[in-house]
Amino acid sequence: MSESERDPGLLEGPNLDKEDVVLRVDGLRKTFGGLVATDDASFAVERGKITGLIGPNGAGKSTIFNLVSGFYEPDAGSVSVNGVDVTGAEPHAVAEEGLIRTFQTPRKLEGMTVREAMLVGPQRQPGESFVKLFTSPDAVAAAETANIEDAQRMLEQFEIDHLATQPATDLSGGQMKLVELARAMLAEPELLLLDEPVAGVNPTLANKLREHIARLNEEGVTLCIIEHDMEFIMNLADPIIVLDQGSVLVEGSPAAVRADDRVIDAYLGGGGA
Amino acid sequence: MSVAARDRFDGLTRAEQGAVGFVVLLAALLLFGLATGGLAPTYFLYLVGLVGMYVLLSFGLNVQWGYTGLINFSVAAFFGLGAYGTALLTAGNSPLGIEGSRLLGLIPLTVIGLLIAVVLAAVVAVAIGIPTLRLRADYLAIASLGLAEVVRLVFLNQRDWTNGSAGLRGIPGFFQGWPVLETFPQAMPNLRVEALEVSIPGVFSTRILGFTLDAPFWQALLNVAFVLALVGVVFAILRRAHRSPWGRVLRTIRSDEDLAEALGKDTYAFKMQAFVLGSVIMALAGVFYAHLNLFVSPGDLEPINTFYVWIAVILGGSGSNRGAMFGGFVVIAIREGTRFLGELLPGALPAADIPFTDLVVSFPSVVETTYVTVVSNFASTRLLAVGLLIVLVMRFRPEGMLPPQRELIWPRSVAESAGPGETNPRETIEEEATATAHVSDASDEVAPDEVAPDESTGDESTGDDLFDDAPDGTGDDTSDSSDDDTSNDVDAPTDASGDASDEGGERNE
Repeated sequence: MSESERDPGLLEGPNLDKEDVVLRVDGLRKTFGGLVATDDASFAVERGKITGLIGPNGAGKSTIFNLVSGFYEPDAGSVSVNGVDVTGAEPHAVAEEGLIRTFQTPRKLEGMTVREAMLVGPQRQPGESFVKLFTSPDAVAAAETANIEDAQRMLEQFEIDHLATQPATDLSGGQMKLVELARAMLAEPELLLLDEPVAGVNPTLANKLREHIARLNEEGVTLCIIEHDMEFIMNLADPIIVLDQGSVLVEGSPAAVRADDRVIDAYLGGGGA
Repeated sequence: MSVAARDRFDGLTRAEQGAVGFVVLLAALLLFGLATGGLAPTYFLYLVGLVGMYVLLSFGLNVQWGYTGLINFSVAAFFGLGAYGTALLTAGNSPLGIEGSRLLGLIPLTVIGLLIAVVLAAVVAVAIGIPTLRLRADYLAIASLGLAEVVRLVFLNQRDWTNGSAGLRGIPGFFQGWPVLETFPQAMPNLRVEALEVSIPGVFSTRILGFTLDAPFWQALLNVAFVLALVGVVFAILRRAHRSPWGRVLRTIRSDEDLAEALGKDTYAFKMQAFVLGSVIMALAGVFYAHLNLFVSPGDLEPINTFYVWIAVILGGSGSNRGAMFGGFVVIAIREGTRFLGELLPGALPAADIPFTDLVVSFPSVVETTYVTVVSNFASTRLLAVGLLIVLVMRFRPEGMLPPQRELIWPRSVAESAGPGETNPRETIEEEATATAHVSDASDEVAPDEVAPDESTGDESTGDDLFDDAPDGTGDDTSDSSDDDTSNDVDAPTDASGDASDEGGERNE
């Protein structure tokens, strides 16, 4: 196409030809009654990268996240994490494959301290088996001690360790986002899906979040981020996948996406023509 | 009070002190009743047994509702399954007609009855859980409401199996067929505690004590020991489980099931475990009841019993084991206390010379008749009392009297880790809530100024401005306003949350 010739950094449609793919979404389709929320969406997320997922309101970004993480069941198509097919699997089964997601609106855990809320993160805790609480209390206690220490370290890395024993319901929106991110990291994800990490976060804290996310990426975490805040996502993610009307419009580097007329048209509601 | 005890008491939170005070007061009242002979020792022990039974029921419901947020309206059904499970095996007029008190001459039938009760309750819990626990919480509520009636009506109508409305009579005490304990009540001597004349010369003179400790008393004592053992074991198990990672997942499910799923927890499995565990505990209460009352009938499965247990859990504080204990205690205090209150009050208003009766004829007579109605039906008005209590608790202390007071992590693991020590979050919540109230008021006032510039950021479809590297001006506005409060935004909960609520609504898809 003429556009892609003009800018080699931009691909019409998704770039499925990546080397080390953590998440592969193929022909995903979901309708709610007569509304087609996701229509034949395909894309791939490469290991070690931060992949940005943008698109105008109603483009189907959140629906795709819900489909990928198992909260919705797709009408057609497939999702695979690390080569394992997780299409239609329950969310916890998807999480067990190493895909951990966060939510657009931070979830509050009533009656817990921040530290307790953090401790929900680690996977496969021996203490989560009722029987093991009584048959192997030492292993449970040892794992718990290790998890508390991990949680404390993680909170320190996110510079919120002073909140450890605060009630989890007393936090600000931004702090909750940090806690949520830190907790997701305790699950040691292969791939972290962040749903609008800076929505409702003031610019200063948004910058902090960006630094933290960049740091996590440098430490080897693969991320896929939905975000409306263009400045935030453009300075953080590469590649950027643009969704429009339920499928992938273009994929490319931030600079290429930024310059593309069709993307701007999509945001203006021109239908991507 | 010794110094150590004093320190211990001061170390408690206010809610704990209140609960301790209430229990001590009531215990003192009961002891007074015992000492003055107003309360027979055997009946006192029966009351203690009932308290234990309600505590068990509350424990069970607390696991389901308090930990996990499962709405179970079939408490009475699981209680009934437990009671009938053991009664069918041991009752004199049971249609099963099993002779003797031991299986194969070895194992006491009551123990088998207990096991059967537990298994029965677990099986029914799984059966009702499979279709409902994958759905939203309300479906379990409806299904369990139906289950309670189905179970009750089956017991009422399947006469061949359950004796129907005649109930099961002649149930032995729990320790029948046990070595030593079986004959314990008979083996104990009859003790006569002689009445004592207590008097302060010229002022006051009364007789105290004066009762006999006979076989029924020793039997009641055994019952109390049995229920205390059950309560103790269940409490120890729950205390450990509640503060474990297992309990933490349950509490996460209660707050936000999606979050638990997203973090890789199989919520269906956890909910099933909690539901079965709670139901089994309720069945244990039923087993105890059958061997306490020695008679069970379908009337014991009436829905009102379910709601008494709910009241106990809500009153005590959902999600707190000690709260459930306290709630069970209070419910029995109300249920049995109102019985006495009706007897204590005079049957009619004392005749008083009310002036001008000839002028206002109707008013005093209305008061009199109302009074007589209330006093003569005091047992029925206890429902009114319970309802009033619930309204008051919900109005003034919706979290219950004794909600969880401390961080729920094994103290040993906290101590072994390098992190900060155990805290008392509840108290800090209360303090900080008042402290931050003013600040959040202030940020609310600022809010209108912040909303206006935000709207231009929210308006993202403005062509060329769309991908501007720096959001012009608008971002500065918000950061300026936050600078007023504090320089470090991570440390500014109220300020940032103000922003969050303003922007969150606009940016959500």
